[in-house]
Amino acid sequence: MSKIQVEDINRNIYDIKNEDEYAFKIQKGLNREIVEEISRQKNDPEWMKEIRLKALETYNSLELPTWGPDLSELKMDEIATYVKPKSKLNTSWDDVPEEIKNTFDTLGIPEAERKSLAGVGAQYDSEVVYHSMKEDLLKQGVIYTDMETAVREYPEIVKNYFMKCVPVNDHKFVALHAAVWSGGSFVYVPKGVKVDIPLQSYFRLNSPESGQFEHTLIIVDEGASLHFIEGCSAPKYNKVNLHAGCVELYVKDNAYLRYSTIENWSKNMMNLNTKKAIVGKNAQIDWVTGSFGSKVSMLYPMSILNGEGAKTEYTGITFAGKGQNLDTGFKVIHNAPNTSSVVNSKSISKEGGACTYRALVRIAENAKQSKCSVSCESLMLDDNSRSDTIPVNDIQTDEVEFSHEAKIGKISDKEIFYLMSRGLSEEDAKAMIVRGFAYPISKELPVEYAVEMNNLINMELKGAIG
Amino acid sequence: MLKVNRTPVRTSRNFKINNIKLEDVNIPEKVWSFKPATITSSNLVENNVAVSGLTYGLGDSLLKNVMQCANHKAKITVDKQDKDIKMIYHFDDENTNLINYIEIDAKENANVIVEYKSNTEKECFVNSIIKIVACQQVMINVFVINLLNESSNFFLAMENSLEENSNLQYTVIDLGAKNSIQNYYANMTGESANNDLQAIYLGRKNQLKDINYIAELRGQKTNVNIDVQGALKDNAKKNFKGTIDFKKGCKKAKGDENEYCMLLSDRAKSIALPMLLCTEDDVEGNHSTASGKLNEKEIFYIMSRGINKQEATKLIIKARFQKILERICDEEVRNELMEEIDRRLD
Amino acid sequence: MKTLLEMKDLHANAGEKEILKGLNLTIHEGEVHVVMGPNGAGKSTLANSIFHNPEYTVTAGSIEFEGENIQDFTTDKIAKKGIFMSFQLPEEIPGISTLNFLKFAKGKMTDRPVKIFEFKKQVEEYMQELNMNPKLIERNLNVGFSGGEKKKNEILQMLVLNPKLAILDETDSGLDVDAIKTVSKGIEMFKNDKNAVLIITHNTRILSHLKVDYVHILVDGKIVKTGDSRLAKEIEENGYAKYK
Repeated sequence: MSKIQVEDINRNIYDIKNEDEYAFKIQKGLNREIVEEISRQKNDPEWMKEIRLKALETYNSLELPTWGPDLSELKMDEIATYVKPKSKLNTSWDDVPEEIKNTFDTLGIPEAERKSLAGVGAQYDSEVVYHSMKEDLLKQGVIYTDMETAVREYPEIVKNYFMKCVPVNDHKFVALHAAVWSGGSFVYVPKGVKVDIPLQSYFRLNSPESGQFEHTLIIVDEGASLHFIEGCSAPKYNKVNLHAGCVELYVKDNAYLRYSTIENWSKNMMNLNTKKAIVGKNAQIDWVTGSFGSKVSMLYPMSILNGEGAKTEYTGITFAGKGQNLDTGFKVIHNAPNTSSVVNSKSISKEGGACTYRALVRIAENAKQSKCSVSCESLMLDDNSRSDTIPVNDIQTDEVEFSHEAKIGKISDKEIFYLMSRGLSEEDAKAMIVRGFAYPISKELPVEYAVEMNNLINMELKGAIG
Repeated sequence: MLKVNRTPVRTSRNFKINNIKLEDVNIPEKVWSFKPATITSSNLVENNVAVSGLTYGLGDSLLKNVMQCANHKAKITVDKQDKDIKMIYHFDDENTNLINYIEIDAKENANVIVEYKSNTEKECFVNSIIKIVACQQVMINVFVINLLNESSNFFLAMENSLEENSNLQYTVIDLGAKNSIQNYYANMTGESANNDLQAIYLGRKNQLKDINYIAELRGQKTNVNIDVQGALKDNAKKNFKGTIDFKKGCKKAKGDENEYCMLLSDRAKSIALPMLLCTEDDVEGNHSTASGKLNEKEIFYIMSRGINKQEATKLIIKARFQKILERICDEEVRNELMEEIDRRLD
Repeated sequence: MKTLLEMKDLHANAGEKEILKGLNLTIHEGEVHVVMGPNGAGKSTLANSIFHNPEYTVTAGSIEFEGENIQDFTTDKIAKKGIFMSFQLPEEIPGISTLNFLKFAKGKMTDRPVKIFEFKKQVEEYMQELNMNPKLIERNLNVGFSGGEKKKNEILQMLVLNPKLAILDETDSGLDVDAIKTVSKGIEMFKNDKNAVLIITHNTRILSHLKVDYVHILVDGKIVKTGDSRLAKEIEENGYAKYK
């Protein structure tokens, strides 16, 4: 059988580099002066400035993780943590400066807004340059704005929720985030309001040797529902960029949130992102995650099921190619009776890429009658690549149903033969099998992303071996 | 504090599974010779052997302890077939500390039973290394049985090397000790080597089980199967770490790993970390773990035949253990274990 | 009559082991052939060797289709030449619906885009004839199909792809009486004087529903006797002992 090569993502549209033009770029590195300067630039209220400075202390006191991918290429002294683009926050695409708008145009963002979204936010480097939402949602009391506006206009809400779901000392990069965060989205969906079409925030990091630290805070109040989509990309530079965002989600009793992410950072990106959700009684959070980009990722969305009957589903695919080390997975804490979780994870490794599925399931002592089922499958496309499965299952009580299954292997020769006997060429057969493998995930993605993902899985024969 | 039995791949410290920390365990350094040891074998048994190091093992402190203080060592070179190698360590009031090194070089087929048992109420201590080399074409069957009393400490490092076409059947029955810490490593270098590891653990009261099984598949067409069945009562706690590591070059290798933990109390704690590591594409790896209480329907069905709930529960647990226990050909040993399991489930 | 398949002195291995030891078989248009034989005689090796299954190797002899040597053809090219093989154990392919798969394969086979509406109608008609649950075409290819459903799905694919030669490998095994009738009906629907069928089986049940031209007895990698349907009858009564 011959070996296949899965083509790389056509990165042309992501790789459009704009001149590194900015209104303000903070000096590289990290110290108290830099954090104070960011705070001054952002006109922080005093309480926020305090959070930042305290977080910096925490950052300095914490060690780098002693596990997972190698982070030694990341030199904080060479990263600019704040880059203010030459644009203010706009509510009309026409007002966004030409060059920045062109970038988002190419990425299809304004187009998507017209077609299928209820609201859009767009961040360029450290600041949100565009935010808008459909009129009727505004009338129903839905708030969708950039994080800085939220700090100014809804300080009481932000104070109650900011860095409460994800504690500042969670790990070193959370502390870093809390010290230098900038941009991101704030969403509040009032009680009982159902937002039928998705909101989307798009994060673009253009500036080289810089970091993006957007903060996303979403509160879906009792009985409300929302679908939120997050997209990320950046052009490739030779030096390492850093993304250490933070996503805090509060899904109140009987509420529903679906959080979809398509992460397509360039391959010089260290993606050290943190996402957590606190889920109330009979509420549900569903995560849909596609991880395709970045050089190194450490990303483990977490659902904390605090309310009785809370549910969560995680559906994720990770696709690691040449030079990529993508360490992803899911964490769930069952903290109340009758909670349930379903995990479905897939990964594809090729051309020396490494995928790790790292996960935690914890069913606490009081979480009687809880259920959890986990399935992970890894596909190895060649023998230069790597695929590891490292799931921790911590079960602290007996009245539970817990099961975990994992599989690792290559495309089955038998399946290829079967399809070829029906007239499919070897490459068609393999492409069909890989698409079929990814299908349970791609079907959960918004349509335009699913199409994009299928296009990624275009294969060609690389020449016969043995 | 003793920090031992490192997991081969580290993960987040918050998951509390990178190693096991034990308070109040003293590693005895001055020990007398261990008298109630009986070794039976038709092959030559040497007692004066040098202790060599371990690839994984339980950690430096325990390895050093065996190297410096071992009070019972045995090396058996199996040159002629031997179906009845027995190494029995029965602890009594005078002999409570065993620092033990066993090496078996199997050039011919063999059956081996190693049993640790307390015939005393006193706290016992075992720090043991069992090393096995399964030479080409050899079929070797090993049973390790822990029946120590529940105030004892049991440390066991098993290391195995599998040559071409060898077949190693390993069975671990872990019922005893307060802290029972096991490390198992199979280095599968030989083409078509086969390793079938099956284990039972049963924890009750405050027993702690820390189980760390590692198989590295290096040779082509190697095959490993790890099957672990356990039950936890009362406040018992178990960490199971099972790693199947497909190393580069192990084309057409297969690895299966399955752990099933029956929880019999709402205070019992079970952590499982079943790992698959893979740097080769032409392999098949599967793992599954499950835990939970016994199936109510099964219990109901058995009770409808006039059996009380406790008996029904025992019946189901023993049924799950049965397949593994049946590997023990020695009927006497098997019956002894059945009785022991019965007693500990009461 | 045009010659479709011609195998001469075929030797083939399954893995390392020699299974076919000099097999000769010629099939013309309009013929129905049956190869019968005890387990291990080489029946599946025969089908898989024609189809260039990587688990089997042809070590000597020749396989020609319509006068062309097809031994070095890849499996898909053999299929495109007009040979179909039904599998004993059809693979389950998750993530692709049966209908989309059929449409895709038909497109590849004919090198023409398939008009979905007419195509679907045609497929549904076939399914009705084969007593298949119409919902099956929306399900993923063979995933979760029962044994009988899988076998019928193979016959459905044969009808849809409409080959010149259909090789049916143990299509009747594991089926109940009704399913065998349905499968036979599918073969009857397919059969005309321009194509041919090669049925590989170890029992004679399916033959009572079909008109058969030749019956070959395959024992230990060779065809030891060829006759008409009366030969199948004889095997039914006396077994293979006589030929071993």
